[in-house]
Amino acid sequence: MLNVFGESKKKIGALILLGMFSFLALLPFAPVATSLALAEEEAAVVEGEESDEPKMGKDVFYKEEGEFGPISGPPAPTMVYPDDYGTYGDFQSRTIIWISNQQHLYFGSFVLAVPMFVWVMELIGIMITQKGDAKLGKKFDDLAHEMMKISLTAYSVTAILGGILIFSFLALYPGFFRYLSGIFRPVMHIYALLFILESGVLYVYYYGWDAMNDRCGDWKWGHLALGTVLNAVGIALMVMANTWVSFMMSPAGVDAEGHFLGDIWKVMHNPLMVPVVVHRILGNAAFGGGVVAAYASFRFLSAKTPEEKGHYDWMSYIAMFMGILALIPLPFAGYWLMREIYGYRQQMGITLMGGLLAWVFIMQATMIATLFITVNYYLFQAMGRMPGSERYYPAFKFLLAILVVSTISWLTPHTLVMTPAELKAMGGAQHPVVGNYGVMSAKNTAINCMITTTVVTFMIYQRCNVNLKVPWAWKGNIFLGFLISMAYVNILFLGVYGYYIPANVRIGLSVPQVASTLTVLFVGVTVNLKMLKGAEPVGEIQWGKMSVRGAYALFMLAVAFTWTMAVMGYLRSSVRLHWHVNEILRDNSPWAFTNPLGYAGNINSLNVLLFWTMLLFVFWLSALATAGKKKVEAEEAATAGTAVPAGSH
Amino acid sequence: MSKYINKAVFAQVLALILVILAVPMMAWAGGGGGPFSAGTFSAIQVGLVLFAVISAWLLKGKMGLPMPKLIQAPLLWVICYVGFRIILTPPIPFSLLAMYMGVCTVAIFLYCSLTTPSWEEFSHPIAVMLREDHGTAKLSRYATFLIVPGLIAFQTYSQMLPSFGEPIELRTVHPAPPASINLHKKTYNLQTAENPFRVGEDGNYLKVGDEAQYFGGNAWTGDVPKFLQQVQQGGTVFFGTAGCFFCHGDNLDGKGPFSFAFNPIPANFADPGTISQLQETFVFWRVAKGGPDLSREAFPWASAMPPWEKHLTTNEIWKVIIFEYWHTGFFPRTWG
Repeated sequence: MLNVFGESKKKIGALILLGMFSFLALLPFAPVATSLALAEEEAAVVEGEESDEPKMGKDVFYKEEGEFGPISGPPAPTMVYPDDYGTYGDFQSRTIIWISNQQHLYFGSFVLAVPMFVWVMELIGIMITQKGDAKLGKKFDDLAHEMMKISLTAYSVTAILGGILIFSFLALYPGFFRYLSGIFRPVMHIYALLFILESGVLYVYYYGWDAMNDRCGDWKWGHLALGTVLNAVGIALMVMANTWVSFMMSPAGVDAEGHFLGDIWKVMHNPLMVPVVVHRILGNAAFGGGVVAAYASFRFLSAKTPEEKGHYDWMSYIAMFMGILALIPLPFAGYWLMREIYGYRQQMGITLMGGLLAWVFIMQATMIATLFITVNYYLFQAMGRMPGSERYYPAFKFLLAILVVSTISWLTPHTLVMTPAELKAMGGAQHPVVGNYGVMSAKNTAINCMITTTVVTFMIYQRCNVNLKVPWAWKGNIFLGFLISMAYVNILFLGVYGYYIPANVRIGLSVPQVASTLTVLFVGVTVNLKMLKGAEPVGEIQWGKMSVRGAYALFMLAVAFTWTMAVMGYLRSSVRLHWHVNEILRDNSPWAFTNPLGYAGNINSLNVLLFWTMLLFVFWLSALATAGKKKVEAEEAATAGTAVPAGSH
Repeated sequence: MSKYINKAVFAQVLALILVILAVPMMAWAGGGGGPFSAGTFSAIQVGLVLFAVISAWLLKGKMGLPMPKLIQAPLLWVICYVGFRIILTPPIPFSLLAMYMGVCTVAIFLYCSLTTPSWEEFSHPIAVMLREDHGTAKLSRYATFLIVPGLIAFQTYSQMLPSFGEPIELRTVHPAPPASINLHKKTYNLQTAENPFRVGEDGNYLKVGDEAQYFGGNAWTGDVPKFLQQVQQGGTVFFGTAGCFFCHGDNLDGKGPFSFAFNPIPANFADPGTISQLQETFVFWRVAKGGPDLSREAFPWASAMPPWEKHLTTNEIWKVIIFEYWHTGFFPRTWG
């Protein structure tokens, strides 16, 4: 099949195809210029002004150059209940929007994340095939194809949920939706056009897989180029949806009354847009990895043959690994986002971290700690299928101990829940010992220790089934031991030092702490890999022999991702308090209050349950298709009088 | 089966002796009723831990009698409970204890199932208890099926009992401040306002962090730097004009003579989680406006802090803030 690799003209063909699709992808942006020109024209005649000079408004965010812009739209309306709000019986309209939004986001995140993995898997497959291992290359290619199949079913569900969301907005929040769509009018059609483009590319990419792979093998690079376009369009879609959300949190490009000032880029490039987008991309990737790993675990647990078990064990490992690659930088992206929020509005930062919503961060800490502990636990279980790993078993409990102590430190709240009697017994609102763990110095130290420990576990995983043969192995081990110890010492020292210096310097300490963690990640893993060169295997990895606890751990991982997304979505949305658009468009509905944590916890759990119920349906559909294919293959094989191949995937 | 039972009995007896000896002794000594000083008490704790570690090592390494996982698990749980409930003083609230013990319970389960041999060791006796039909297994099965529902029933009963305690309030200790406040006919933007008395020798604004040079000095001697003069005047407000120490304490630790008459009790400035986490303007807002101006999220009036704008000048408020940071050795939060 892939007999054409290495031929440069095919790559050139692929590049031309990529160029054509990129051109098509850019086409929808052409009308923006026209929209801007129209906006300026409209500004000149707004509200019956006779003067030729457009009336200027002062931007709520941008200062100095570009501070003023032509008023190009109506002001933000004063919302009136019930005229500007709709209801369905006694249900809280906000909760209906909340659920439909969250479900759309879950599936949207998933279908945007999977093509990223698929692209990487397909590329790895091509590269391995080029190196001469066609069998392994095909294995990666099949894996990518199978991942895409799950994504395709989920894509339809995403579209349906998107429709439900739009109709919910129109029915329940017509006033708000009218204002927001008025502001984003210059780019609304781009979103729709991008969505059409995404659908087209996706279907060609998926249904053309075999055709471009086998029957017309020359097109393999072209197929990968299609994957690039698919990801580019997907990210563009996500960025656009994020600009609406970040505009609601930190508006720009409008004046204090909410008039659009004619420059859509300022509206989109609002103060929180970039950190929200970065955080979202990493979050999507981690979440997508978790869900695919859960799918593979589901198939692993239900597999009937050793081959099937082996395949899905391998698939779950690859998906988990991809998810973790995105998870490791995620806390740092979150930290940056919080810093930007504080920079934008002190009140918003305090409401989040020290005030009304501070307890949500304890929930988040619990979930993130669950993620890291689960990843480590999975790797411990995964080592069970690697002969030779027994040598490292005694170390597991110490690694677990570091994770548990870090977790306890991380989830110690600053504001304790206690009865007045407990408060008096404690002698104050802050405990003299555990109170020290309620502040950021302790939290940063804890998360860095957890990530470093995860990297150490991974390094053990890499080497557990081989005997090192490089002559400098002992030096390498000493170096690694020193590197890891120094990282822990540095992280702990800076964590303690943070209590003795001003807050602005303390925030800066997170950089060397993260640097220690990343040094272990990049330098440690690289040295470890170098040491594995020419290593003598103790035994091959016995794919399919992983304990069921490992498979369940991956379910836990995926559910923890889902719950974390739900709880942080509630947090990000609640921080606007009683504003639809912060300080511009006030929420005057009966649901303008901030939901209590108990209610939020219930709705979040309901969202998680709904998502997983739908997702299990998607998994079942995918398994059904595979089962049908296998049956046909088996019948064909029987007719031909040959043996039935066990487990095609 | 017998090897598990033999080892289990041996280890169980040892563990029970340890727990029976340690728990009441610690409760007695820790509660202030014992004859030990704090130092002796800590030494006893360290000694007990060392004794447990050495015993475990001797049992496993020298006598070839590792403690079975099924015994290790509850023993670890009890040790964690004793640590958080008794050794850690003053006692932590139940909500926090529940969180800690939740983490420990999960961690102990993970510890027992880290590897396949470990999991088999842990789960095998349970499987025997559930499946086998001989005397010991049957007996332990009946005991388990009586004890576990009994514990759940007791827990349910305890929770359903009417309580006369005050309800728990999840009060927001640091609510978000308003964007600006009006004080003595002037508007202060809380995002940008600066303490006018934070000045160095040259009379210019002293950058946060630079005041560390004055920490530990005596502000009450004759000729002191300008910054310490402000500290001295702030101290006079704290101990004299306003009498903040009656509630917030001589050491600013929230343990003044009046403190326990209030609910919530006064803020402890010596804790790293209070003023060191806040901008000076936040403290300025709290001192000036007191409990009545707390926002809805923090329950207005749910604080006995008076609105000091009615009794102090703006300058006195800024100076007492300078004093509080100097005395505790903390720095206000800044974003520069």
